[in-house]
Parts: sequence; C-alpha cells; structure tokens
Amino acid sequence: MNAHRFWNWFLAPGTLWILVLFAAPLLLIFALSFGHVDDFGRGVYGFKLGNYDDVFNSTYLPVLLRSVGYALATMLICLAIGYPVAYYIARFGGRWRYVLLAALVIPFFVNYLVRTYAWVALLADEGLVNNAIVDLGLSDAPVQMINTPWAVIGGLVYGYIIFMILPLYGSIERMDQSVVEAGKDLYGSPLQTFIHVTIPATQAGILAGCVLVFLPSVGDFVSAQLLGGPDTYMVGNLIQDQFFAASNWPFGAALTMIMMLFLSVWMVLYLRRAAKGEAEVL
Amino acid sequence: MSDLRLNRRQLLAAGAGLALTAYGASGCTVERPLDTSAAGDIVEPKIDGDLLIFNWAQYMDPAIKKEFGEKYGVEVNEVNFDNLEAMMVKLRSGGEYDLIFPSSEYVGRLRKEQLIRPFDRSQVKNAATVSPYFDGPWYDPNSEFSLPYTYYTTGIAWRTDKVDTMTESWNDMSNPEAFGKIFMLDDFQEGIGQANLLNGFYLNTAKPEELEVSKETLLEQKKGLRGFSTLTAQNLVSGSAWIQQAWNGDVVNARNQVSDPSIFRYQTCKEGVPVGTDAMSIPVTAKSPGTALLFIDWVLSPKNAYRNVMWNGYPQPVAGGREAFAKLVKDDPSIDVNLNELKGSSNEFRLDTPEARREWNRIWTEVKA
Repeated sequence: MNAHRFWNWFLAPGTLWILVLFAAPLLLIFALSFGHVDDFGRGVYGFKLGNYDDVFNSTYLPVLLRSVGYALATMLICLAIGYPVAYYIARFGGRWRYVLLAALVIPFFVNYLVRTYAWVALLADEGLVNNAIVDLGLSDAPVQMINTPWAVIGGLVYGYIIFMILPLYGSIERMDQSVVEAGKDLYGSPLQTFIHVTIPATQAGILAGCVLVFLPSVGDFVSAQLLGGPDTYMVGNLIQDQFFAASNWPFGAALTMIMMLFLSVWMVLYLRRAAKGEAEVL
Repeated sequence: MSDLRLNRRQLLAAGAGLALTAYGASGCTVERPLDTSAAGDIVEPKIDGDLLIFNWAQYMDPAIKKEFGEKYGVEVNEVNFDNLEAMMVKLRSGGEYDLIFPSSEYVGRLRKEQLIRPFDRSQVKNAATVSPYFDGPWYDPNSEFSLPYTYYTTGIAWRTDKVDTMTESWNDMSNPEAFGKIFMLDDFQEGIGQANLLNGFYLNTAKPEELEVSKETLLEQKKGLRGFSTLTAQNLVSGSAWIQQAWNGDVVNARNQVSDPSIFRYQTCKEGVPVGTDAMSIPVTAKSPGTALLFIDWVLSPKNAYRNVMWNGYPQPVAGGREAFAKLVKDDPSIDVNLNELKGSSNEFRLDTPEARREWNRIWTEVKA
C-alpha cells in the first residue's frame, strides 16, 4: 500500500457521514418534492410535477425576491460594519487581538433564537430602549422598531455578522503589509491605496464573508418570525409553514429544492472564483 | 477544486440516480406503516408499567406527575413536542408514548388513521364532571378515544389604556383606533375563521367563492396589522399590541405578568366564538396503556385540575378546573366562557378533506405572502 492510498482511508468516516446523514436525506427530500398528500395528511412519494408549478405561482415570487433583497442588504451591512472591525483588530489589536476576537465570538455561543428574543424585549414599544427614549424626552411616543423590515434585517445582521468578521480578519491579518507601503510609495492617497491595494488584497475574505452571510440569511425564518411585521414573510417562513402548519410536506420539499438550486448557483460561482483566485496567487 | 464542471456523462448519471430514487420511493408514505392491530382493543384502567407522557412543554404541573408516581409506585416521565405535526411524525414512526395531548382536530385524524386506542369513559371516575359540551364531539362521536384536557376560546384582547371603542365584533380586528398596532394570530384556521364569521359564513366553509371573499377581508385587515403572531402575552405586555386576536388562556398569562392587570381585557365576538380543545389520548404504540388511563383519571380529579389550572393558566372543563379558572379571571369574567351557554354560537375548527385543508393553506399563504 502506498502512502497515497493509506491517507485516502482517512476520508472514509467523513464520506460515510456525508452520504448517510446528508446525501440520503437530501435525496428523500428530492423524491418527496414530486409527492402528494394522502387523506390522512401524510406525505406520499410519487411523480407529480404540480408542486413545482406551485412554487412558480406568482404569489410566491415576491416572497423569494423579498428574501433575496433582505439577504443582500444584510450582506452589505455586515460588510460595512465587519470590515472596519476586522481591520482594526487585525492591524491594531496588538496583544489584545485575541481578547477582542473572543469578545466577538462569545455572544454567538448563545442560541440565535434566544438572542432574537432578547431583541424583542429590548426594542418593543414599551421595551428598555423605547422607555429610555421617552424618558429622555427624545420622542413623545414610543418609536416602532420591531415588526418592521428593518428589524428583520437588523436581526439577520446580528445573527450572522460573525461569519463576515472572521474570514475578513483572516485575510486582513495575512495581507502582506509591504504592498500597502508600495502603494503609498507610488503616491497613492490613503483612500486610493485602500481601494486599489487593500481591498483587492483581501478580496478572498470579502467574498467568503459575503457568501457565508448571504446563504443562511436567504433561508432564515427566525428573524422574520419574531421581529417581522405583516409584510416581511420570507421563503424560510414559507417552507417552515408547509412542514409544521400546513401539513404539505411535498410542497415544502419542492420549495426547499428550488431554494437549494438557487443558492447552489451562487455557491458554484463563488467556488470557481475562489479557485481562480488561488491559481492567480500561485 | 480547480474544475467544478461535470462532464455530460456524469450529469446524465446523476440525473438517472435522482430519477431512480424518486421511482423507488414512489407510492410509499414518508414513514413506514405501523402495526395498528391494537387499535381496536379497549384499554383497561390498571397499572401495567411506567408511564411516558408526550406533551407540549410547560403544560402540566410537575407535582401531578410526581404524586401519581408515588401513589402507584411507577415512574412518570415526560418528553415534549413543539408542534403537532412533529408529534404525528414521531407517533407514525413508532414512538412508544403512553399518553399524548392532541388538539381536537388531531384526535379526529389519529382516530381515522387508527393511531389511538379506545377506552370506556365510564371507567374513568372523574370524567363524570366533564362538561356535557364534550359528550360525543365531532372528532370523537362515541366519546371513546379522548377526554378533554384544556379548552380555549378565541376572541380579541385589547389594552384598555389605548383603545376604548371595542364593539364585541370581529370588526375590531380593523379598529381604526389601533391601526398598525393590531396582531392577528399566526394560525391559518384562526385567521381565515374570523374572516368567515365576520362575513356571515360557516366557520369551516370550504366553498371557493366564500373563501375568496374572506381572503379579500383578510387582505383589507392586513393593512392595519402590525404582524401575525401567537405570542399573545409577549405582544400585550411589551406594549407592541393594542389589539390582539387571542386565546383566552394567554390573556390570563399576560395579566399575570403585569402589576395592573386591568389594562388587558378580552372579548368574545357576537359573530361566533371558535372553541379549541387539547385532549388526552392513548396511542396504539403505548407500552403501558392501562397506567395511562389511570393517569387520565388522576389529571381530571378536582384537586389536580384545580392546581393544574392555577399552574398553567388554561381552563379545564371539569370540576375543580372550572373553579380555579373563575378565580384566576374574577376581575374580567369575560375571559371565562361558559361552554354550556355557548352551544349555539360556538364553533370548532375542522377541515374534513385534504382539498379543503390545501385550499385554506393556499389562501393563508397568499394573504401572508
């Protein structure tokens, strides 16, 4: 047995895990997406394309578009907040950098659902923030903050921003400082240097962060359910309702497949881009 | 990772594999069929082993379980579900629970699917004081598969310090005084149901033309909504809701959380009062069905009903439970609904065909989307 073969065996447990606990359930969801519901409300596997027709019903299109819109906004806000934070920690954190990173990561050990509930308590009309606003005389009446699209996007940002900061931190920390100095030597202003040198040098982190935030945001249902209003229904809510309220698993499965297909397109584009980037660096 | 493209042959093979999976599974239900041979056997009340309860979380005073275990020398364990579909899935896949707490509609479905066992109500001593309202209900016509645990009515809760123009009508779901501060229950049956009642239709109508009218009603109401939510107590207490479509038990919980409970009031509506029930049933897969039946009797005893209602705030339609609930809501008797007086105006949710359920869900999704 040569060394190559030997090391291949180390892949076996992981491969088995993926096949049994990821690929097989996914295949079942795929099969169920062509199924129907019997008289007892049970999902039955079959050959029906109707579930997919329903997905492309004009009613659900706005839900899909809204989900993508919220996810894009979340991604951009995370980038705008995350980049300076990651940059500061990576460049100027000094011996405090691991403490700062830990301070960012530790809140994420708390369950997302619980953190979102905390937002409700904080931002409700008679919550802590609004009580302070009214007591300080900043406004006569409470400001409605939750049950709005902004609250949903805010919840998503809070929920997923760590996935933006960590890859950004990694790529900023690894960035060769001499290229920035070279930019300055060539009479680049700080802004020009940042745009033409720092951003391209950290684009792998930017891309990774954007993908890691965008993908889970599109399918999220917690934020819209707890912080949303009457017009913030997202595709994650739609899918969850099909499984747990509407007893329509086949339709829920079809929605899941379409969403996965949509997200896979972005994932593949990202991976190809990342592979190309790697090739260029080498 | 440099080449992610599949060649044509790989693509075809993958497609064929997917099609084969779909074909192989075709006609099967998601879960394998259960052995339901025990479905006809009448359960006898006798200790036949330890008890495993399958219930909503925080829905029963733990002392009731503990003292039952001490009295009969058995272990009483509880596991929880967080929605009824999940409960169904676990039952169908062979979960060996001795006692479950389905809603009335799910009792009907479990009965038709032969997933629960019959018992003789006359052998359950404390069932004698159960409200006659639950004699031969639609979901259990011979009163042999279930006994009621709790019940609830659906009405409208409001903040007396914000709104003073309530009219005891479902029209209040679009009361202009609370525009933008109104919550509708995030429940397809409650949402469509109140619109049906408001339009003078049968609560459970399956007529497409009537449902279309109710959909328009809902879309009109939606303009004044702040959201769809079942977190009634939280919405009321946090000040976000001025008007909230609500189950009466949740109003009790909201009132318990504030120093001045009189700011929350509750009304039932003249167009009709939906009534819901959570029942107790014994699955075919039960290991200790006899112990489960004794436990049902235990839960319905006046002493246990009384303290359970005081503990969880939901009314129980049985001696002890009624008194406890009346005590809880003595400041606002409108929360306490006398089931026997409701006979004429009450309505229970039931969707008898998969088509009706599908149609209702489609409308609800279109309203929420």
